[in-house]
Amino acid sequence: MKHLLFIILSLHLFTLSLFGVDATLKIEKDVEHRSRIALLDGSSVKNPRVFNILLSDLKISGHFIPDTTHHQGDITGKFIPPALKGQEYVLKYSMNQQSGSKLLIRLLKASDGTQVFKKSYAVPSKAKMPFLLHKAIADVNNVLKYPDISWINRYVVYAVYTTPGRSEIRLADYTMTYKKTIIKGGLNLFPKWADAKQRAIYYTSYKELIPTLYKLNIYNGSKQKIASSQGMLVCSDVSKNGSKILLTMAPEGQADIYEMNVASRSKKRVTKFKGIDVNGRYIDNESRIVFISNRLGYPNVFKKSINSAATSQVVYRGRNNNACDAHGNKIVYSSRESNNAFGKNTFNLYLATSGSSSTRPLTATGTNQFPRFSANGSVILYLKQKGHSTSIGYINLTSSQSLLFPFDDKKVQSIDW
Amino acid sequence: MTHKLLILTAVISLFLSGCGQTAPDLNGSNNISDANAISGDTVSIDESAYGNESDGNYNSSTDGFRSVYFDFGDYAISSNMENNMNNNIKVALAVSSKIKIEGNCDEFGTDEYNYALGLKRAKAVKDSLVSQGLTSGKTVMVSFGESSPVCTEPSDSCYDRNRRVDIRLVK
Repeated sequence: MKHLLFIILSLHLFTLSLFGVDATLKIEKDVEHRSRIALLDGSSVKNPRVFNILLSDLKISGHFIPDTTHHQGDITGKFIPPALKGQEYVLKYSMNQQSGSKLLIRLLKASDGTQVFKKSYAVPSKAKMPFLLHKAIADVNNVLKYPDISWINRYVVYAVYTTPGRSEIRLADYTMTYKKTIIKGGLNLFPKWADAKQRAIYYTSYKELIPTLYKLNIYNGSKQKIASSQGMLVCSDVSKNGSKILLTMAPEGQADIYEMNVASRSKKRVTKFKGIDVNGRYIDNESRIVFISNRLGYPNVFKKSINSAATSQVVYRGRNNNACDAHGNKIVYSSRESNNAFGKNTFNLYLATSGSSSTRPLTATGTNQFPRFSANGSVILYLKQKGHSTSIGYINLTSSQSLLFPFDDKKVQSIDW
Repeated sequence: MTHKLLILTAVISLFLSGCGQTAPDLNGSNNISDANAISGDTVSIDESAYGNESDGNYNSSTDGFRSVYFDFGDYAISSNMENNMNNNIKVALAVSSKIKIEGNCDEFGTDEYNYALGLKRAKAVKDSLVSQGLTSGKTVMVSFGESSPVCTEPSDSCYDRNRRVDIRLVK
């Protein structure tokens, strides 16, 4: 009897460990809210890449418990292989990339083969295949009435150093399967999405004497000069409707945070500290900001109202909290946690809220940097280095699931999502 | 009895963890193409024509100036940089051109903070030059953060060389 009890408890622990890849997180949503689903590949040529992307989408959604076996079979009809009868759903799919990318999906009830949903997708580009898969899983998620996961459809924009003094700005899907360089040559840094629909970015160009901020439409190439400043100039955040931006700039040689009205170009200085104030992010319906400041002698997270001078400390742990992101009242920050001046260092991510001094660890090993919230704030993107490998990681704060994808761009400068 | 109760609880919890939500009763007749939003092609821009980054001169001072080096995480000019600063003020006062002061960092910072640190270094050098008679308006500062290392080996001596301020004439 004791043995039986031990086996059952071990099974429970094993199940939990499957979902705790990188995070020391509390399981907030019980697994019984998730649907068991199997993927059945009906393509004429078996494609592990397509299967793996679909599997990742299902996992990171937090709404499914996917079968990790790559099953093959006929996409037509109601037939459900006996091995899949234990699932709740079977997602049959067929990908054809002979000319562009064409995807057909059919969502069936595993019990009797009843069709729940059917849809086809097509895009002229073979390279954009991952976006078809993400869209398909987002649709399946919506059909089953789960909370929205449309963040999986979004582009990631990031800058990488290529050689000293040069960089490129690239687009990718969240798995980094699709990648495209949109700006090469020169030194162009700090890309930031300018609008919710991801049609334009802000970025800092160094092609002139002093740093200059541009807004670039990534579809038609039209470009507007927004501001320039000696010292440094970064678009750190964009308001929800795109009308205001937070800039870190140094017109007098002192890095401070400014809020700019994009239409009128009028600027308001938000911080006035003699040290370093950078990395402003809107919180609390854009009435306040959180930012990184060294006003205590080391980089840490602070907050202040846009319209008043009072500044308060947000984080009370760590001696080197040098980057943060925010969504609503949630704040994620990276903290350097080793004393080595050089070489391997531990950076971990922590979650905090603007109204509380408590923090929650999100990572436990390696170098974890560049945290960025998804558009709905439910998932955090970050860059992880462990040993010689670099990955892009995702932590679903609701389901506590984590995923890592290989990332071969070595010197990332900045990321936005 | 206690054992039976424990086993019963565990079995029930395992059973419940296998239950999913009921499938919505939808008819699957919406076979439509819905990829317009992702089919638009994005631009590719080549800015190689803008040449001030292509001559490799970011990586050291020029025009008679000497680079000023800093300790890890610091932006105060140390006493062992005195000779370099004495040289720089002599050159700066002798030229008529505008002077560009470039702050640089090693690779151990992240994101915006490292650029601000580079700027603080540039400002320390500028303030020192201004305190010795240089007109403030004759200078322009730019921080390059960790973007322009002169050395890419993973060694302490290499990182030391990257935490620097370069000075050159604006041409």
